[in-house]
Amino acid sequence: MIAFLFKRSLDLLFVLFGVSVLVFLMIRLIPGDAVEIMLGANTEITPEGLAALREKLGLNKPIFVQYWDWLTAALRGDLGQSVWTGRPISEEIVQRLPITLELTVLSLVIAIGLAIPVGVLTAYWRNSSAEYLIRLVSITGVTLPSFWLGTLLIFLVFKLAPGWQTLGYVPFAQDPWGHLSRLVLPVITLSLPMLAGLGRVLRSSLLDVLNQDFIRTARSKGLAERTVLYKHALRNAMIPLVTVIGIQVGYLFGGAIVVEQVFAIPGMGRLILGAISERNYPLIQGAILLVTMTFVLINLLVDLVYAKLDPRVEYA
Amino acid sequence: MSLAWRRTLLPLLRNPLGLLGLFLTLLVLLGALLAPLLAPYDPVRQDILARLSGPTGSHWLGTDQFGRDLLSRILFGFRNSLLVAFSSVLIAVVVGTLLGVSAAYVGGRYDRAVMRLMDVLLAFPIILLAIGIIAMLGPSQWNAALAIGVVYIPTFARLTRGPALVVRNTDYVQAAVAIGAGNRRVILRHILPNLASVILVQTTLALSTAILVESSLAFLGLGTQPPNPSLGQMLSEGRPYLTLSPWTSVFSGLAILVASLGFNLLGDTLRDTLDPRLRGH
Amino acid sequence: MNGRWFGLLAALLLAMGWSLAQNPVRGGTLQIGADASPSGLDPHVATAFASFIVTGQIYEGLTEIDERLRPRPALAESWSVSSDGLTYTFRIRSGVTFHDGKAMTAGDIAFSINRVRDTKTGSPIASRINLVKDVKATSATQLVVELSQPFAPMLIELAGIAVMSEDYVKAGNDMQRRPMGTGPFAFKEWVPDTYILLERNARYWRQGRPYLDALRYNIVPDPATRQVGLASGTYQFLPNIDPSLAVTLRTTPNVKLITAQDLAYTLIGMNASRKPFDNPRVREALNYAINRSQIVQAVYFGNGAPAGPLGLRSWASPQGAFPCYNTNANKAKELLAQAGYANGVDFGMIVIGSNKTVVDAAQVVQQQLAQAGFRAKVEVLEQGKFIQEWRNSNFDTFASINGGNADPDGYLFRTFSTGGSTNVFKYSSPTVDRLLNQGRTTVSEEARRPIYARLQLELACQGPIAHLVYGTLFSAARENVQGFKPIPTRSLIYLRDTWLAR
Repeated sequence: MIAFLFKRSLDLLFVLFGVSVLVFLMIRLIPGDAVEIMLGANTEITPEGLAALREKLGLNKPIFVQYWDWLTAALRGDLGQSVWTGRPISEEIVQRLPITLELTVLSLVIAIGLAIPVGVLTAYWRNSSAEYLIRLVSITGVTLPSFWLGTLLIFLVFKLAPGWQTLGYVPFAQDPWGHLSRLVLPVITLSLPMLAGLGRVLRSSLLDVLNQDFIRTARSKGLAERTVLYKHALRNAMIPLVTVIGIQVGYLFGGAIVVEQVFAIPGMGRLILGAISERNYPLIQGAILLVTMTFVLINLLVDLVYAKLDPRVEYA
Repeated sequence: MSLAWRRTLLPLLRNPLGLLGLFLTLLVLLGALLAPLLAPYDPVRQDILARLSGPTGSHWLGTDQFGRDLLSRILFGFRNSLLVAFSSVLIAVVVGTLLGVSAAYVGGRYDRAVMRLMDVLLAFPIILLAIGIIAMLGPSQWNAALAIGVVYIPTFARLTRGPALVVRNTDYVQAAVAIGAGNRRVILRHILPNLASVILVQTTLALSTAILVESSLAFLGLGTQPPNPSLGQMLSEGRPYLTLSPWTSVFSGLAILVASLGFNLLGDTLRDTLDPRLRGH
Repeated sequence: MNGRWFGLLAALLLAMGWSLAQNPVRGGTLQIGADASPSGLDPHVATAFASFIVTGQIYEGLTEIDERLRPRPALAESWSVSSDGLTYTFRIRSGVTFHDGKAMTAGDIAFSINRVRDTKTGSPIASRINLVKDVKATSATQLVVELSQPFAPMLIELAGIAVMSEDYVKAGNDMQRRPMGTGPFAFKEWVPDTYILLERNARYWRQGRPYLDALRYNIVPDPATRQVGLASGTYQFLPNIDPSLAVTLRTTPNVKLITAQDLAYTLIGMNASRKPFDNPRVREALNYAINRSQIVQAVYFGNGAPAGPLGLRSWASPQGAFPCYNTNANKAKELLAQAGYANGVDFGMIVIGSNKTVVDAAQVVQQQLAQAGFRAKVEVLEQGKFIQEWRNSNFDTFASINGGNADPDGYLFRTFSTGGSTNVFKYSSPTVDRLLNQGRTTVSEEARRPIYARLQLELACQGPIAHLVYGTLFSAARENVQGFKPIPTRSLIYLRDTWLAR
């Protein structure tokens, strides 16, 4: 286990290093003069302004020095300042990240909850018309554009229950009920597309498990199919589900960017889109770096959980 | 038709979902290819008096806010969206497969370097990486295609490396190398054909998501720009009029759904028929 | 029949009773749905409406512009102008305090004007008051402004200069993040991309104002979301909305539209330093090819009016004066042929992508131009990129929207004078330059009128801008939002008179 952890951490360090280099290079790979493009959003531009911003961003130093400065500052938690407002970037991100995390984690939990019946039913009713119907519906969920689904839901709820507040964001501490009721539609919009992916993994692993000896034994002992399913098969079949969660979280982060825009939720997505429209490159860098690091860490966690759950995983 | 292909395609035709997928995909492909012939109107021709109408005898799917014929725009929209989807997936397949197969074939340090780079790219959430690339290059149809392509490169590199490694170590490839077949010949004749089915499945699935990602980017204002009709951009253009005339939004949403669903069903069924564990029973 | 009459009468009485019985009441928070997050709240450097709709409540100027676009006293109680038009003496209102409780004096006003003039501030307003030679506070309640030349729009331009506290700025406060002025509402909190909260200034000098306890600007970028938000009552007020949004809200129950004529107008700009638009005939041909009333219908849903070079009702020449406003594709082709382009012309048109009205208008114009041999390749650019290309004059033509100005000089001089600060067309005409200088240095309004009538004739058909449409300025509000009046400049000063009926 120790060796496994060590190797995994080394991998992780390398990936994080690579991510930091790529994110750092982003601003340097912009065709043309990044500083002039950044100032493009301002109608009045002066040569002094250009020089000052270039100095502030350290763009007049050699590239390795720039990277080193940037990285060491980032490791101390200093991602620089937002170009236009002067607010520390890490402060802006710390306010937003929890909102997006809550949205994604809730959606993930709901999606897994829904995926269990989908997986079980499609495995049991293999090649029946019922299976095809369920699969068609869940695949349709994947291919629904989420901004369309979100808008349709908003309008639908407005027609049916005009009193329901569906837009914006209220902190939980301030108004728990308002907080949760505003999360319902975004969570539905985000979790629906994951249903098919999770359901299909569960289905194939369940089919695998159901063919194994210990299930046959259980059945031959005369246990009820329900007991076989819940006590034996499902528990084992859930393990592979853990491995795809990491990937799904990546989709969720992406989906959240779109959903936050539709439902006016002030999470990371809004932060990043706002930064793009005002050419705030240091903020874009910082936000992408942090979201990606969160994503990488979640994947590490998933791996560890998986190793714990599945005795077949080698630690070496 | 080789035996392998027959084994792939026949179950597809027997599976109702596969059949539906094939049907929808052909529908969308034909619509895109024959758009100039099929479209009843010029997709950018405006007729203000007939704007925001529901389906009528002269406009089967109604019109948008400028009175442009929605059916014609959707057909040309298929063309643009598929063009972006196909070019992005082409980038991903070619570059990804090249990297994956060469990593398996060359091995050693090169292998490790390539796969580590892929790990790094995979560390980014998909839309986030695409948005990051577009933030640097500026929003346009082709930058969106490039961004989506780059995002999918690691998927194909990883997907092909494993099987390529297995094939490379099989006796007949070793034998081919032993009798002096060149690297190119070995890769083209022996390794790639064996990867075809895996690539095919992943390509259809990637096409499905590429259509969706393109439409999301267009919604965020980062993809295809007007007046070119692309499905995602038509949909976001129609959203403000949802209460006034739901048709524009509903039909362009359905168009995305149909295009993406077709490829997804096709890929999903192909994966089933090709996955030995799920075959039979 | 009787029943129906009775019902109508009852409704009428009820409506009358409503308007009679309803006196303004204090209290409540107005939930505003704003479309964009401001990048900063320093009114001396901001350029976006997103900033001004907020800073306009926090700050005031010496003067303010009313709904008829006339300057009237604000922090200045009264003023006198010397007979040569070079010296303005302002009597400053006493008893006005900043939000931090400190008294406002003429010194603060002088400081603020000088802060705008200082090149280190980088203020876009600086060039508009470049004729100011000196600003002096002669006592706590008297301010003297000296000009180098007479400058007719002086009082209007001063309305745009927010008065800040000298002590507060010099104490090193970040003016982009923590604004502080004398206005009816004081800055309370800003959660980026979420909301900006302003609260009632209890010491406000206008007695009993404002009525509202607070203003909350909720940032809601998606128009469909804002629409539902207003319909469901999440938001109570959407200022300055697109005509398309107004049309969809028109039939929404419990929502009303508040309208005024907008000073902002859509336009096609032409690069006078590039072929083919260096030729005045080609520019005239383009004007003949455009059908402005059709754009009003298609883009503005009928809510707008074809635009001449000046949108100010009191200054605008009747459009009958501009022959090229009679759409005529054949005439356009003829002019093109005379200019040596018998086979039509190919050119690019960049479009500012952040404004839906402009993107829509560009698509309609592209179609109209095509019928007269103008083949435009339309390219919609993101705002930053657009402004970059615009500033560097890197375009054949562009489609955009301009905010208007309450004085004709404010718009015409910087746009059309040779080397003017926004003359990105590189347009230069000695006649126009002469008229522009005459117009701004003549103080009497009667004497200015014929000068600007001439200018409009010079610019309408052969100038570098084809003016398209002045839209109707729409704001949408819940029925219980009372007392708000719109102003063509899009400023929201009457939020101080706004109240919520129970």
